[in-house]
Amino acid sequence: MEREAFLDRVGAARSGALLPATPPRRGAPSLPRLPDADLAARFVARLVAVDGEVHRVDAGDAASTIDAILGRHDAAEFLAWDEEAIGVPGLFERLAAAGRRRVPASTPADAAGRLAHQAGYRELAAAITGADAGLAESGSVVLVSGPGRPRMASLIPSVHIAVLRTSQIERTLPHLIAARPALAAAGSNFVVITGPSRTADIEMTLTLGVHGPRHVHVVLIDD
Amino acid sequence: MTAPVSFLGRVQRDRAAGRVTALDIGARRLTERRLAAAAEYPAMEQMRDAARAIRLDVLANLDRYLGRFADAVERTGGHVFWAADGDEANDHIARLAVDRGVRTAVKSKSMVTEEIELNAALAAAGVDVTETDLGEFIVQLSGDRPSHIIAPVLHRTRHEIGELFADELGVGYTDDPVRLNAIARRHLRGIFLNADMGISGANFGVAETGGVCLVTNEGNGRLTTTAPRIHVAVMGMERLVPTMADLAVMLEVLARSATGQRMSVYTNIVTGPRRPGDPDGPDEVHVVILDNGRSEVLGGDAAEILACIRCGACLNVCPVYRASGGHAYDSVYSGPVGAVLTPSLDGLADHADLPHASSLCGACKEACPVRIDIPEMLLTLRAEVAAVGLAPDWLRRGVRLYAEAATRPGLWRALLATGGLLGRARSSWLDSLPLHGAGWTDHRQFPPPATRSFHQRWKERTRGA
Amino acid sequence: MAPRVQLFVTCLIDGFSPQVGDAVVNVLERAGVTVEFPFDQTCCGQPPFNAGFHDESRRIVHHMLDVLDATEGPIVVPSGSCADMMIHHAPDLVAADAVRFAQAARVAARVREFTTFLVEDLGLTDVGARLEARAAYHPSCHGFRNLGIREEPERLLDAVEGVSRCELADADECCGFGGLFSVEMPDVSAAMMSRKLNAIEQSGADLLVGVDVGCLMHLEGGLRRRGASHVRIRHIAEVLAGTPEDER
Repeated sequence: MEREAFLDRVGAARSGALLPATPPRRGAPSLPRLPDADLAARFVARLVAVDGEVHRVDAGDAASTIDAILGRHDAAEFLAWDEEAIGVPGLFERLAAAGRRRVPASTPADAAGRLAHQAGYRELAAAITGADAGLAESGSVVLVSGPGRPRMASLIPSVHIAVLRTSQIERTLPHLIAARPALAAAGSNFVVITGPSRTADIEMTLTLGVHGPRHVHVVLIDD
Repeated sequence: MTAPVSFLGRVQRDRAAGRVTALDIGARRLTERRLAAAAEYPAMEQMRDAARAIRLDVLANLDRYLGRFADAVERTGGHVFWAADGDEANDHIARLAVDRGVRTAVKSKSMVTEEIELNAALAAAGVDVTETDLGEFIVQLSGDRPSHIIAPVLHRTRHEIGELFADELGVGYTDDPVRLNAIARRHLRGIFLNADMGISGANFGVAETGGVCLVTNEGNGRLTTTAPRIHVAVMGMERLVPTMADLAVMLEVLARSATGQRMSVYTNIVTGPRRPGDPDGPDEVHVVILDNGRSEVLGGDAAEILACIRCGACLNVCPVYRASGGHAYDSVYSGPVGAVLTPSLDGLADHADLPHASSLCGACKEACPVRIDIPEMLLTLRAEVAAVGLAPDWLRRGVRLYAEAATRPGLWRALLATGGLLGRARSSWLDSLPLHGAGWTDHRQFPPPATRSFHQRWKERTRGA
Repeated sequence: MAPRVQLFVTCLIDGFSPQVGDAVVNVLERAGVTVEFPFDQTCCGQPPFNAGFHDESRRIVHHMLDVLDATEGPIVVPSGSCADMMIHHAPDLVAADAVRFAQAARVAARVREFTTFLVEDLGLTDVGARLEARAAYHPSCHGFRNLGIREEPERLLDAVEGVSRCELADADECCGFGGLFSVEMPDVSAAMMSRKLNAIEQSGADLLVGVDVGCLMHLEGGLRRRGASHVRIRHIAEVLAGTPEDER
């Protein structure tokens, strides 16, 4: 159907629609009214509650912490955002010294090359990303895709390590959008990740790591 | 009634097959979780009010927001297709698949593609389609239908699923959900990474940015919109929010109402195809905006039902749904919302019994995050059923006789006096009633009429005074 | 001056449970209220309305309005469901006719569900009743959700000397009556009822109390079909009035 015809039909329907009257909306909706809380502490508690792990460290200890997490999961290879986007200088050098190899992230544009590249993702153990924000109330990390920031990194491996700073934590998603309105469309993909992949489709039994990562580690840098 | 197999017939079939108990247990647990999530979140009522205002604003200005949304999608490099009905949507997607040389497609859970039966259209075009949500995968593998809008196999036991996987996937039998999940993950992973097209629904479209928001827990929604080179999102035309700030409000109530989570695991917003320099993501994004009867609903008595955000809270809390099983609703949309939406979208003729599948207890309205007055809409639909002559004859005749008596006080009192004579002849509760009264006495005894009605007692009382 | 009220007794009480009507009158009179009974009353119109037959329902509503609008004072209704019909649906049903609508609005403004009238309007919770019983309370849906009757009946019950209270699991879940629903969808209605009866029997109560005789008639019929039960089922007015067992 043509756009004009489609919209005309909708317009005709809604002009006579019997909808309950509501007060007119002015401006952005109000933010959730919540009692004060320590954002970093709330973030940690809420992420742990959904089976995530949090490692609260000083900036200088971030690289060694990440190395230790990879070691715990026997990850010899990892997919990663660019070091600058992760924000831990010297990280890749440290991991290389420990014998860990960074796998290429860039998917070729042609169809065959794409499939060949993705075939390498089948058994990927781990990936490291930065984060654009954290949400205290839900224990979520927010990631925006872009150059040097593959989406697959937070999605395809069984272990996802995200580096977040305490100063990046907002209370809720409405608070984040109010503070940084352009963030959500800053990349072709904006994702809010709240713990490891899960399902309860079979008899409501919780199971972790369905399609996405089984383990989510947030390295939380106090700043 | 008019449907070949009635609501009640389907209830009897599924209850006999033992399909209803698992669903009842699951739905109750989801309700407990919703209530717990609301109780620990002090802004819940505030966000519900805000969410309702947003959704009603969208409906009241839908054509404007749709235009704005389409412009934004195109600005990001996405393509928009306007589908008047399911056939137009299916034809377009099938043609796109053929044109782009698509052999395999993966789908994330989407009620709207179930509504238009997209899988069949793609299969006819030679495209191999795989459902990737664990529940939908099980539905597809067994040729079943979803029984719940967010938990498609709530009616199935782990034992059944274990047998299904052993038969269909050639694996050893297990009924351990963790192992069943691992089997599905392994099976689906290769399919994901090889797929040419990913097909999703849309929880919300954001008019301001052209973003398509998909909310999932498993990660299949993200894989579907990341791994294949083409992403097609099919969106019911009403599922918009004006701005990102509005979307954030909806997300505050959606997961809490659906599963009692504070946020679902993945809230995924796709804003156009892969951009220059992006290491991954689809090369093409197509958004199919679907009417398929929605503009008629918008112009009709049940317009407010289009404010629904498909959380499933009304299903979980509905005692009729839990006692009936989702398949009784004969549609992908079950429970109270289905009882309104299905006859509204698909016509009353085949679904005249759905508006009657409710005790009007009001639990759905109380649970709905956007406070849709479902009981009121069911009453309106019942009136339409009666007005177009689809109500059963016995009911129509009974109601007319009753109205005659209830508008003639003398006749009313005479009937009460006659009842009193019967009551004197038979003072114990009755074990069986004739005709449609048997619907009552199949399960309950019926009280004898009072030997002296209140009218008679009042007369005696005042005479004595 | 003693308050004067109109009693709208409802069709089910009139024809099947008139002792509840007597109990309502007795409780009100003991509280010093003068009760009048508009003798030409019949039904509130809800059964045809819920079945979708608006024309038939409207005729009954017109009759109800004519009878009640000719009287004065609060209209006491011992049923949350009928009160909900009179307050919320009757005005909508006649809204096309301005004169009728005004009449319906006048009547709706006077309608008071029985327990709400006692607690809110009379400020009464202890009516001086006495009954040895372990009582569970079933909040019928229309009163509970549509009229917001939450604490009133329970406060009245708590004040009855000799009554101890038993918690009913999932108390706010529908019992499956739903008027004609119980006849149109018997298997579904019965499954809901069965769950409610189990909850009642497991509550430890020997008395189930409610504010709507429709739900109570359905539950009592189901309980009787099950056979011997130690649970009795009563409208709250009967408990408050001290209606004897054989007065039914």
